[in-house]
Amino acid sequence: MSENAVSLQSVSKSFNFKRSNKLKSSENRLISVSDVSFDVSKGEILGIIGLNGSGKTTLLRLIAGIYEPDSGKISIEGKIAPLLQIGTGFNNELTGPENIVSSGMLYGFSKKEIQSKVKPILEFAELQEFRKMKFKHYSAGMKTRLAFSLAMQIDPDIILVDEVLSVGDFKFREKSLQAFLSFKNKKKTILFATHILNPLPELCDRVLILHKGEMIFLGDPKEAIQKYRSISEN
Amino acid sequence: MFIPLLGLKGKRSQILHFAWKNVKIRYRGSYLGLLWTALEPILYFVFLYIVFTNIRLGVKEDFGIYLITGIVLYHTFVKGTQGGLGSLKENVGILSSINLRREFFPVVSTVTSSIMLLVEVGVLFALMPVFGFTPSWTIVLLIPILILLQILILGLSYLLSITLVFIKDIQPLWSVFVHALIFVTPIFWYVEDMGGIALEIQKINPLGQLIEMAHKVVFGELPTVNEWLYSTAIIFAILFIGYGIFQKFEKGIVERI
Repeated sequence: MSENAVSLQSVSKSFNFKRSNKLKSSENRLISVSDVSFDVSKGEILGIIGLNGSGKTTLLRLIAGIYEPDSGKISIEGKIAPLLQIGTGFNNELTGPENIVSSGMLYGFSKKEIQSKVKPILEFAELQEFRKMKFKHYSAGMKTRLAFSLAMQIDPDIILVDEVLSVGDFKFREKSLQAFLSFKNKKKTILFATHILNPLPELCDRVLILHKGEMIFLGDPKEAIQKYRSISEN
Repeated sequence: MFIPLLGLKGKRSQILHFAWKNVKIRYRGSYLGLLWTALEPILYFVFLYIVFTNIRLGVKEDFGIYLITGIVLYHTFVKGTQGGLGSLKENVGILSSINLRREFFPVVSTVTSSIMLLVEVGVLFALMPVFGFTPSWTIVLLIPILILLQILILGLSYLLSITLVFIKDIQPLWSVFVHALIFVTPIFWYVEDMGGIALEIQKINPLGQLIEMAHKVVFGELPTVNEWLYSTAIIFAILFIGYGIFQKFEKGIVERI
């Protein structure tokens, strides 16, 4: 049995919306992730699928340490890259290169180290022509490309990806999938949530289905897709 | 860890990097850019100087230096606490993608304010020859006074940034509060001319205390032991209370914002 990179033991998380709307008190708590347990071994690629609101983002944020679980235990073995999600994680007023340096420093690189990576990151993201553009003027695809290239270049052990595959264009998606596979060869662990089912069988070792916060399936990708389709239709 | 800043050990280069970026972003896109750091207090000064030397409010000799000293501390306080107030909320994008000590952002904001303070102190010294003013040696005591000011800003930044996550009303409230503060703080009036409620407020207001102490050291007088003790005690109390509250509530903030 190989070593685990990520391990969850009956993790639950709910949110309180009392102040933000006028629901009755019993409806104030929204259960987002409920009693989820699984292990991901080093070098494994795990796909996470589920309908909107099924708890995919919450689950990834819990693993990234951004949310605190209400109960349960999460163990991580290795360095985690910044959570890849659509359009966040950067300062709107800064340019691409400036954001790369700032984020890289937060991740623990020295200024010099990260400055030497600016060029390859921009190249991978195909953003060399937009060096001087502020992040707020980027398109959704550009934002995602920047975040993705940065995460690829800082050489983490564990990569968490939330939905970003659906934003990039076809060409970039291909490139991202290639990057995933090369990471897999380097024994890196990838957890990614997505709505795009086609690449799952080729890419993932296992697929997890979340439904209303609960884990209802974990196993073979093809089986998972069938099961997920039957849920979607109901 | 119950001591502020301790958890950020080894993060000095990141903090300085982010603080300097903040300074650069603040006026980016404006025609005068970084010059605004110095121009803002100067414009405040020019405006108040014209108003108060023309409405004959019994201004004393060297009113100009008296006024700019107060403005430098007041303006730093306003900018510093307002920056601190928004520091968590503005960086929620970063907080929601990297697991980072939440304390990082209020601290960065305070360091930003310290950088701006250096420029403002430069303005103070630049205006001295303009008014034919020569300070005495006591002016070196401005250094501990300004350090106390920054500690006050840090304590309030902890408190305000975490409060804003839970109570949005703090933003307009604080903005009104700091505007009101200019009237109850010895910036354009003198403590010895005051009585009643204004004097009572001045006695407990840490910013007012610091400004009064700054006036004294600029004009060659030494603040009393009591003034040092009181201001240090209340400022450190604010720091530890602010940090304590910050620590208590920092865990659940990303899902709140």
